[in-house]
Amino acid sequence: MPDARNAARGAVGFSRTLLLAFACLVMAAPFLWMAATSLMGQLEVFGSGRLFPESPLWSNYPEALTAQPFGRYFLNSLIFATVVVAGQVFTATTAGYAFARCDFPGRDTLFMVFLATMMVPAVIVLIPRFLMVDALGWIDSYRGLVSTELVSVWGIFLMRQYFRTLPRELEDAARVDGAGHWRIFRSVALPLAKPAVATLALFAFIDAWKNFMWPLLVTRSMEMRVVEVGIAAFHSTYEINWPYQMVAGVVAALPIALLFLFTQRYFVRGIQLEGIR
Amino acid sequence: MRDAGAARVIPLVAAGAVAVATALILAVAADAPSGAREHRTREEARAAAALYELPGVAEADVVALLDGRARIVAPEAGGRGPGAHAYRAGALEPAAWIAVEPRGEGRRWPWAASLLALLGVLCMAAWAGARRLSPPPPRFPAAPALFCAAVFALVAVAAQQWARAELEAISATRLAGGLRAAGIAGSAGADPEAAARVAGLPWASGAALGEADRIWTMPREAGEAIAAAPRLRTVPRYTVAAGGATYHGGSIALGSGPPVRAEDPADNLHLVFLGYEETASPAVALIAAALGSALLVWLVLFLLPLAARPRALSRTLAAWGFLAPAAALLVVFTFGPLLFSLWISLHDWRLVDPAHPFAGLENYRALLSDGAWWSAVRNTAVFTLHVPLAMAVALSLALLTRESRRAVRWARLALFLPSITSVVAIAVVWKLLLNDDYGLANRALDAFGLGPVAWLSSPDIALVSLMLIGVWMVVGYQMVVFQAGLAAIPRVWYDAATVDGAGRWQRFRHVTLPGLRHTLFFVLVTSVIGSFQVFGLVYVMTEGGPLGATDVAVYHIYREAWEFLRFGNAAAMSWVLFGVVFAATWLHFRFLERRRAHA
Repeated sequence: MPDARNAARGAVGFSRTLLLAFACLVMAAPFLWMAATSLMGQLEVFGSGRLFPESPLWSNYPEALTAQPFGRYFLNSLIFATVVVAGQVFTATTAGYAFARCDFPGRDTLFMVFLATMMVPAVIVLIPRFLMVDALGWIDSYRGLVSTELVSVWGIFLMRQYFRTLPRELEDAARVDGAGHWRIFRSVALPLAKPAVATLALFAFIDAWKNFMWPLLVTRSMEMRVVEVGIAAFHSTYEINWPYQMVAGVVAALPIALLFLFTQRYFVRGIQLEGIR
Repeated sequence: MRDAGAARVIPLVAAGAVAVATALILAVAADAPSGAREHRTREEARAAAALYELPGVAEADVVALLDGRARIVAPEAGGRGPGAHAYRAGALEPAAWIAVEPRGEGRRWPWAASLLALLGVLCMAAWAGARRLSPPPPRFPAAPALFCAAVFALVAVAAQQWARAELEAISATRLAGGLRAAGIAGSAGADPEAAARVAGLPWASGAALGEADRIWTMPREAGEAIAAAPRLRTVPRYTVAAGGATYHGGSIALGSGPPVRAEDPADNLHLVFLGYEETASPAVALIAAALGSALLVWLVLFLLPLAARPRALSRTLAAWGFLAPAAALLVVFTFGPLLFSLWISLHDWRLVDPAHPFAGLENYRALLSDGAWWSAVRNTAVFTLHVPLAMAVALSLALLTRESRRAVRWARLALFLPSITSVVAIAVVWKLLLNDDYGLANRALDAFGLGPVAWLSSPDIALVSLMLIGVWMVVGYQMVVFQAGLAAIPRVWYDAATVDGAGRWQRFRHVTLPGLRHTLFFVLVTSVIGSFQVFGLVYVMTEGGPLGATDVAVYHIYREAWEFLRFGNAAAMSWVLFGVVFAATWLHFRFLERRRAHA
């Protein structure tokens, strides 16, 4: 009897694995096809009906990547994302600490007001933000690109929740030793919150990297474009050349995919923190 | 004794801090236009240099155009001068520079109003401080209320005056610029667009005016209306309705000169510039002033009681110190823009025109009968229907990977990648993948002997294709959230259900689903809010086509604002969208609450 049950469980497990493998294949198919097509010749794509290149045409990569200043796009994206991460981590940790640990009148109301902004669709503030940045003369500059993105209410929420789980005893001990608010925050609370900061930084980075609409609006010149905008422009310039476009797609997707591969843990934790409020 | 001394000092310190902070904010705000001014001067210098390149434009013309602010600088000077911006123009010999000095200061921050408000705040603080010092209770409880009313009235009146002066300034600048541009274009035969740009009329650019002949008649209909009724030229105040817009005129500059291009008719009506009688409703200025001063007064009233309790005050100040960076950014870039957006939606706000006449609810009224907008809203709603489908798929995947940890690990990358990689790259890949002739999708169908599907080129199917991509994109993310939710369901519940003789389906129905309730609602709400804001996919893949079948709300707003430059309409649309999203979220929460009450 145990044999039969084991066999049945094995069969269920096997079909389960098979189903999962199929789902993964379907999900990954566009990426695989993108990678395969990026190594094909133009004629091969349209003429042969093949799915994989007969012999990989590696020269597509240097050719496509020098057709437009992709290096500059990447640099811009990197600068943009880095500054945004630094800004969001700073604003979210300080504000999160204030909401979690400081006691002041109107705290909970203020926190609700902050949270309410998460419901506001981004498009509604886009027009006034654009007009403000334009009036300041910051269009087509890093200042204009970055300034609106430096605070994340989601990050504040995350940090507040995390600070609240930390034991108060350590802070009280520091207070007895005569440490001020800032010192306690800086040398007691913040080091303990490293995991949450890592999660926040990761999400901020990805979001900034993926941000398309705002950079599209505030950048004009080719030198200021970020990767997302650059690829959209590249797409409309080289509409016919599929391999080139796929190269651009691979190059845009790869950094995030690698980042994800090495930081899965933080990712999943961040999402799960978000899910179980 | 020490505490009493502190209690005495603290109100004064608080009042001083408020005063200094307000002064600082005002100073920074007043300084902000200088950046814009510099930017504008640079543009002018560039335009002046461009004008020099045109045949037939003399040095004197450019200098006259810029009101004598332009100078020719010797080559060795390199175009450097105090506060000037310089450009090298090739037509100048020998390679000299054109230096342009910045325009005059123009109108600045309403200092009088701000100072009055500040004074009011200081008086209140002093009064409150004095009250603290003398133990008996105040004899005039109505005093604070009176004070608020007085501050409000003063600020409101000052703001209204300021708005009126601003309007007159805009009208005057506009007319003067128009006259100058008409002059230079007529006498020198220069490109009218360049002339208008140099004359400080950035809105009179070709992109805004469209066809070439409208560069000359700005706007043509208005010019024709005026030409048809010459009496208007002498009437000091009038209104011209043309081209769908209403122009309130103060006076007109009408130039008719020789044709510049050979194909232009000789009797071409040249440049028509109208001043404005009114840009903003005084009522709106009043309300804004009221809100501003009420906020200020409220802040002071809020701080005053704390002033008596030094420890509470120091705690509050420390907390605000921590909050300051986030709060300041949120106020400047989220709360401020929200109000500003509401303000814009009440005006006929076009990027190409410096004056923004007050329109009341006109923009919203126009939306009611705007078929294209409602079709975009409908498309967005239909697109959102992909969320339940994605949730079903994600939940089954989460259940599928529930038992084995190993499977999750390797499956996660493949499943999760679509939701984190670049939306633009995904859109590009899918666009090619769904290509009618060479795409992977149609090739795969072909292998099974099924006919080709016009994924993106058929108006009936395009939106469905986008929905499928939407499912593909969010499934991985939702799966991870569901996994967390499933892990939080106590095992005991399942054991109890099994003991009661529940089968697989019954366990799912009566244990898993209720256990996941919160997670399901969370995913539903966030996904719906997200899907209402879809933009990148549509921008890259379909541009709203074919035949507007995939024109979603955010894309529609984007085009209204940045292609047609009608910011007022676009702002009204975004508020309507906000209303829809808000209603949807609210309904979700209501539903959730009722369910909880029954459970």
